Amino acid sequence: MKFVGIVGSNAELSYNRKLLQFIKTQYQDLFELDVVEIKDIPMFNQSDDQTNTAPIQQLNQKILAADGVIIATPEHNHTISAGLKSVLEWLSFKIHPLENKPVMIVGASYYDQGSSRAQLHLRQILDAPGVNAIVMPGNEFLLGKVKEKFDENDQLTDTNTVKFLQGVLEKFVDFVRLVNRLEARKEEPLPKEDLYVTDTIETTIECVDMAAEDWVEQAAAKVNAVEGDTYVKLNRGILTVDQINTFLASMPMELTYADDNNQFLYYNYTKEAEDMLADRVPGQVGNPLALCHPERSLTSVEWVIQQLRSGRQDVVRVHVPTHGPDKFVVHNYQAMHDDEGNYKGINEYILDFKPIVDWYLQQTGLRLEGEIDAGSGASQQDHGVDAGSGASAKA
Amino acid sequence: MKHFIGLVGTNSDHSTNRQLLQFIQSHFREHATIELMEIKSLPVFNKPEDSSVPTDVKEMAEKIEQADGVIISTPEYDHAVPASLMNALNWLSYGIYPFVDKPVMITGASYGTLGSSRAQAHLRQILDAPELKARIMPSSEFLLAHSLQAFNEDNQLVDPEQIEKLEGLFADFVIFVDLVTQLVHAHGSNKKAAENFSWDNL
Repeated sequence: MKFVGIVGSNAELSYNRKLLQFIKTQYQDLFELDVVEIKDIPMFNQSDDQTNTAPIQQLNQKILAADGVIIATPEHNHTISAGLKSVLEWLSFKIHPLENKPVMIVGASYYDQGSSRAQLHLRQILDAPGVNAIVMPGNEFLLGKVKEKFDENDQLTDTNTVKFLQGVLEKFVDFVRLVNRLEARKEEPLPKEDLYVTDTIETTIECVDMAAEDWVEQAAAKVNAVEGDTYVKLNRGILTVDQINTFLASMPMELTYADDNNQFLYYNYTKEAEDMLADRVPGQVGNPLALCHPERSLTSVEWVIQQLRSGRQDVVRVHVPTHGPDKFVVHNYQAMHDDEGNYKGINEYILDFKPIVDWYLQQTGLRLEGEIDAGSGASQQDHGVDAGSGASAKA
Repeated sequence: MKHFIGLVGTNSDHSTNRQLLQFIQSHFREHATIELMEIKSLPVFNKPEDSSVPTDVKEMAEKIEQADGVIISTPEYDHAVPASLMNALNWLSYGIYPFVDKPVMITGASYGTLGSSRAQAHLRQILDAPELKARIMPSSEFLLAHSLQAFNEDNQLVDPEQIEKLEGLFADFVIFVDLVTQLVHAHGSNKKAAENFSWDNL
């Protein structure tokens, strides 16, 4: 389970930040926590809409992709910090990522109160129609006199507090499951995907037959694409096209780029189809995704893209056991976003990570437990995303 | 004649709370001079370690010190006071204490039917915090609902009942300001509590 932990203070020294960092490491068996900061988020002003700036969109994407959110709030003047309130105002103005999101409140303060009043205000704020979070009832965690509570390694020293916090967090994990089950029922169906690429986007190279075997050559001529020893400026660096190719070819995985218009634009071509984990042939590049997948798997392809485009999932992974027990093959469909957080397509990377696991086990002396069941199905069986759904040269 | 500060509780370019304070300013001009104060330009409060506050804030604090009272008009964002107003109050209580024992009247306007009721309740709690410790006029609420329809083109409140209510509250506030000057017994300890309140001396 993946949570986002929002540090409710923009101060350089914050015990609420320490508290979230402690939660992240101490309870990593319960969930994965991404601790995020709010100091780059500007003061909310309804006359100066900055919803589409990078800091706000990044937070938006993280919250959308998370199963739940933990907010750690300080108390300033009997309420939450202005910085945290500003963040919540942005997140309830033009975008509403906290809507129906399970939220848990914790807080630390220098004095006895442990942010008690701020936490009550925060509950009311999260209940407001524009925010509409689902806040876990009860289970308050108030950490008062916080300066005495951490040791020099930023660990909570009181064992009862650590045990109590564990109990509260376990309840939150259950609460998240419960809420997500409630919400799953009324999830709107996502819009259809145009797998045949009947439309264009800004980067589409027009007037070239997408199905052509030599799409790459035709399209390159059309836009005067640079190649060879021409320099390309990147973030952050400069490489020639040859260097970029060398670099991408050396990646220990099969990389494929499909844009947000569902067009297959690139793969790091180093091997022939029969030597690949998921076979591709050079002539497929440029295809609409519908053309390079077998008809029977188009529903699964659409489902994956819908998850990624909507932000319901940031990455869809499928483990493909059909290569036998000597390989741990995983197909990863990773959503790509630009700096503003707009969906930009799929980075599909396919790798056999057994060599990495073997090396790690050898280095650490650890061992894998249990039998490796080569016959077990892919994890996303419900949606039919299985080994057969990858792009295939035989289609 | 009394002199009041009218604190606009939002950084928005268009605000019916600003309009309400402008109405109060002109309607009661024979009873008090009211200077409107904006909070738009302030940086996000981040508890700077050297306890420095921006020059703008110092000037605002000075004006509040000099005034007989403050009228704060707050909108309601997400059931609470806008971040920009919380931010201004954070600055105005960071090593400076212009609000301690200062008479304050709260008003508020909202587009909907509730007239910022929940934000006003929060604001009362905020103004009670040790570093603010304002003297908030009790049992007085002015909730201006449907505020987009509340004013005519000359910026006058159109509902005579609302005007009557505001006149009553304002007359009470003028008396309340005088009363507060007699509430001197706790002043010393309030001031001391505010000054002693420290983020570090624990």
